Amino acid sequence: MNNLIGVIGALLLATAAQTQASAQMSVEEIVSKANQASLYAGESGKAEARMIIVDAAGRKQMRQFSLLRRNTGGGDQDYLVHFSRPADVRNTVFRVAKHIESDDDRWLYLPALDLVKRISAGDKRTSFVGSHFFYEDVSGRNLNEDNFSLLEETETHFLIEGKPKSPGSVEFVGYTASISKQTFLPETVEYVDGAGDTYRRVSVVETQVIDGFPTVVKSRVEDLKNGGYTLLQFRNVGYGLALDDGVFSERSLRRPPLELFKN
Amino acid sequence: MADRFFQWVIDNPRRIYAGVLLLTLALGALIPRIQIDTDPENMLPADNAARMFHNEVKQRFDLKDAIVVGAVAEEGIYTPESLAAMHSLTRDILKIDGVVEKDLMALSEVDNIRQDGPGVIRFEWMMRNAPQNQLEADRIAESVSRLPMLQNTLVSGDGKAAAIYVPIEDKNESYRIAEEIRTLFAGLESGDTYHLTGLPVAEDQFGFEMFVQMGISAPMAGAMIFVLMLLFFRNLPLVLAPMAVAMATVISTMGLLIGMGFTVHIMSSMIAIFLMPIAVVDSVHILSEFADRYRPGRNVRDTILEVMKHLFMPMLFTSVTSAVGFLSLMLTPIPPVQIFGAFVAFGILLAFILTIVFVPAYIVRVKPETLAALQAAQHRADKARGIDKLINPLGALARNRQGSLLVVFASVLVFSVVGITKIQINDNPINWFKQDHELRIADRALNSHFAGTYDAYLVMSAPENLAAAEELNRRAAEIQADDFVFDWQPLAGGAGFSAALDDRITQLDDALFDAGGDEAEVIEQLLALAERASLDAKVMTSPDLLNWMANLQGYLEASGLVGKSNGLPQLVKTVNRELVSGKSEDYRIPATPEGVAQTLLQYQSSHRPGDLWHFVTPDYRSGLLWLQLTSGDNQHMSAVMDTVDDYIGMHPAPVNVDVQWAGKAYLNSVWQDQMVAGMMDSLASAFLVVLVMMIALFRSVLWGLLAMLPLTLTIGLIYGMVGWLGIDYDMPIAVLSALTLGLSVDFAIHFIERFRSYLRKGNDYQQTLSLMFDEPARAISRNALVVALGFTPLLFAPLVPYVTVGIFLASIMATSALVTLLLLPAGIWLLQRWLVPAGQGKGQVTGFDPELGEAR
Repeated sequence: MNNLIGVIGALLLATAAQTQASAQMSVEEIVSKANQASLYAGESGKAEARMIIVDAAGRKQMRQFSLLRRNTGGGDQDYLVHFSRPADVRNTVFRVAKHIESDDDRWLYLPALDLVKRISAGDKRTSFVGSHFFYEDVSGRNLNEDNFSLLEETETHFLIEGKPKSPGSVEFVGYTASISKQTFLPETVEYVDGAGDTYRRVSVVETQVIDGFPTVVKSRVEDLKNGGYTLLQFRNVGYGLALDDGVFSERSLRRPPLELFKN
Repeated sequence: MADRFFQWVIDNPRRIYAGVLLLTLALGALIPRIQIDTDPENMLPADNAARMFHNEVKQRFDLKDAIVVGAVAEEGIYTPESLAAMHSLTRDILKIDGVVEKDLMALSEVDNIRQDGPGVIRFEWMMRNAPQNQLEADRIAESVSRLPMLQNTLVSGDGKAAAIYVPIEDKNESYRIAEEIRTLFAGLESGDTYHLTGLPVAEDQFGFEMFVQMGISAPMAGAMIFVLMLLFFRNLPLVLAPMAVAMATVISTMGLLIGMGFTVHIMSSMIAIFLMPIAVVDSVHILSEFADRYRPGRNVRDTILEVMKHLFMPMLFTSVTSAVGFLSLMLTPIPPVQIFGAFVAFGILLAFILTIVFVPAYIVRVKPETLAALQAAQHRADKARGIDKLINPLGALARNRQGSLLVVFASVLVFSVVGITKIQINDNPINWFKQDHELRIADRALNSHFAGTYDAYLVMSAPENLAAAEELNRRAAEIQADDFVFDWQPLAGGAGFSAALDDRITQLDDALFDAGGDEAEVIEQLLALAERASLDAKVMTSPDLLNWMANLQGYLEASGLVGKSNGLPQLVKTVNRELVSGKSEDYRIPATPEGVAQTLLQYQSSHRPGDLWHFVTPDYRSGLLWLQLTSGDNQHMSAVMDTVDDYIGMHPAPVNVDVQWAGKAYLNSVWQDQMVAGMMDSLASAFLVVLVMMIALFRSVLWGLLAMLPLTLTIGLIYGMVGWLGIDYDMPIAVLSALTLGLSVDFAIHFIERFRSYLRKGNDYQQTLSLMFDEPARAISRNALVVALGFTPLLFAPLVPYVTVGIFLASIMATSALVTLLLLPAGIWLLQRWLVPAGQGKGQVTGFDPELGEAR
């Protein structure tokens, strides 16, 4: 039922989007719209996520967490991530204050050690809790870090190429993103290494329109060089929540507002 | 029957030539299919339990064979120059095909975790970019010293050396990759010394050099034998016959081995060199005796028929006994040794057959003048060459000093037995290279600075938890007894239990999503049950177990046997320390499994989350300790194993885990243990078989036992010397026992055969002995020299096992010939009351042979 509405919604939205996605759009506009669609939909949002991490040998690990987000202006955002599974990491909480003009602030709460810690990270391309996703994939890569060019435009997609402005800071030399003209969601992003090989692919498996926003509900990242992938599923997605500063405070690291995640 | 056979042989030389040529060409054509195998793992059969477990562990923990690259800077490695060189070297190594990038360990590829002000923890690359100044270099030094997983693994404890661990996809590529890395050394401008080692390199390099070696040593052995025979017989056309037999034997045997699909291993690469001298032995007997019997003007065909008839039985028996010696190697549980034994035995029998058909056929076609020259030259040669000078004093000794000789030999035997008890069984593939080989130099340099480049793994595995699964299924049924809402398929307690539990939790969670009211309550109960079971299954997050492992590691390091060990305890303690305070008092295991799990979740949020799975499996049911040893000697490994057993004896593991060994250093110790036990079996059984054959051949228990004396003493003496000289008893030395047995008995057979035939002619002991120290002693000495000197080219081989075999074979041949010529006369003297019929020696000394009806 939910799905059917999603499909109809997507069709409606598609017609609207198509008129907008004219060939005259600049690369910057496309990238900016894609960034908006994939990270900033609604002023705030929530989701329950489940990650299945599969290694090259087919062995699985599971992570389950809830996610709250709000946009705080100028591209900055707050995130709160609360882990519920595996049971031994339950109530572990991450808080991220994402900044466009400066480094993000990150905090961590580990219940078993009863410990709140601020994290200062050298870069954002570290694994997100052991998965094939990077922190940067979750909170979004800063648009200011890359130069973009439009490689190709088809009936349905823009193919954008991104090249890092400081190549020493990342492990890739470039990536291509295939952005849907309908939803402006980047449906496939492929990263290329120094040898010219595509070694990593992030792709959208399933989208739904939720509260009017095309929403990725299933995505996948693959390690093309070593094998293995991570599947990320979202459910119970909602937008436009009233989330005040208290939700993203140090207090809520220890006592996350679990009631907000409920339906 | 033999008569008719040899008649046919000398009537059909052309057919024989064609047959031998055809056989050689057909089998020789298979040689280009050669496949080299240098993997010491293959010392164990593919279905060996230890080997299978080792490979399973490699899979389980995603472990790859690694090349170790090291830089040594005597004034310290933490300088901008040295680190810049390491940085660029690492970058270039990562570009080499076949390198597993994600697992490469180098300063520029690992993460650092440290305090970044109060309450702030920082995760970053250890050395993303090369340091620009000494301050930055010092900062790296400080960071590394705080990370036990890296200290003394990536940088030596003395700060003078740094390492790069280069895992490779396929160990058969290691020589190529090693060569590419060596090329990179040349382009570095740091002034540091660079080394390269690691077992896969040693193995692959050995394979390469073995190939070269085979192409040099075997032909050199051939050339040496050729020259020797030319010296003995002074007759080029005749000497060509045994050379042809040797060549045909070696080519056919190797062709057959390769054609049957066997790989050429270090052992089988020596087959050619073993066969070359052995193959000419029978021919030397034929030529010697022919030269003795032939007189110009005599019918060549009659003479050769006589010779063949006379020598057929001794040659058959010597060949069969030699073959038995080598066949006994098939009783060892080590496949390459089995193949070696089987094909050398085959080669010996083939050489025998080729000799008895080809040599007579060849001789009858040689021009009479050539034969006359042979006869004349040979007598002249022996006098001039000093063979007789060698034999005469021996003869005098044997005739006059029997009692003293027996005392001497008895003392030698005691001396040998004492030596044998001192034997040190030890093998290490790196020792296959000479001391000054670049690999040995690298091995010494890196192991003197680092905790060790030899790996052993101590693997902890929780047993399959069948009871827990049963209990879980039962309680799930109980919960749903009244209100059935979820289709709980019973879970099996096998290897996939944890994964199945995770799936079940996901299913329950999905069901919960759609459920409401009472249904939800039941599902929540089931979820709690499943999660409890899932937690209980995670053995490796147990703080008790981790502390126990850490104590075991401390015990091992205190023993001085293990340079260093890495494992989950270090990893958890380090992350815990940095999470809590950064202070050393927080370098500890968290108090609860949840604390461990949360610590590990942080560790996984790094650039290299996969590193965790080298120490624990994703289901946390199995973990390993990586032990770094400074030597690959299996004795070292055995001592480490004993130490672990001691510890576990004193402190049993707090949770039920199986503790098993894996790793190359361990595998080496496994096959070496098997080799020793196997060698004893094979030697004992070969000894028995040969003894029975001797008793059958001589139709006398006493003569049979006597025939075993020289080889017993020779083997005893050789292995006694190994013990006394402190030479490591390794595989090549172990295999020599079979060879000694087979070849020593040859001399005894020929000696006793001739001795008894002289006795039958009516000679007494002294007369017989005089006759023995004429032609028979000459033939034995010649053969000993041919074989001994035939192996001497091995002394110049660059690979140690070949040199060892060369030295030992030469000494074995010399010793066993000497022992035969001296011990047998003494032994017969002692037993002459039973061995020499009474009333002999009334007539004149005669070599008359009643069977052949010929007077000399």
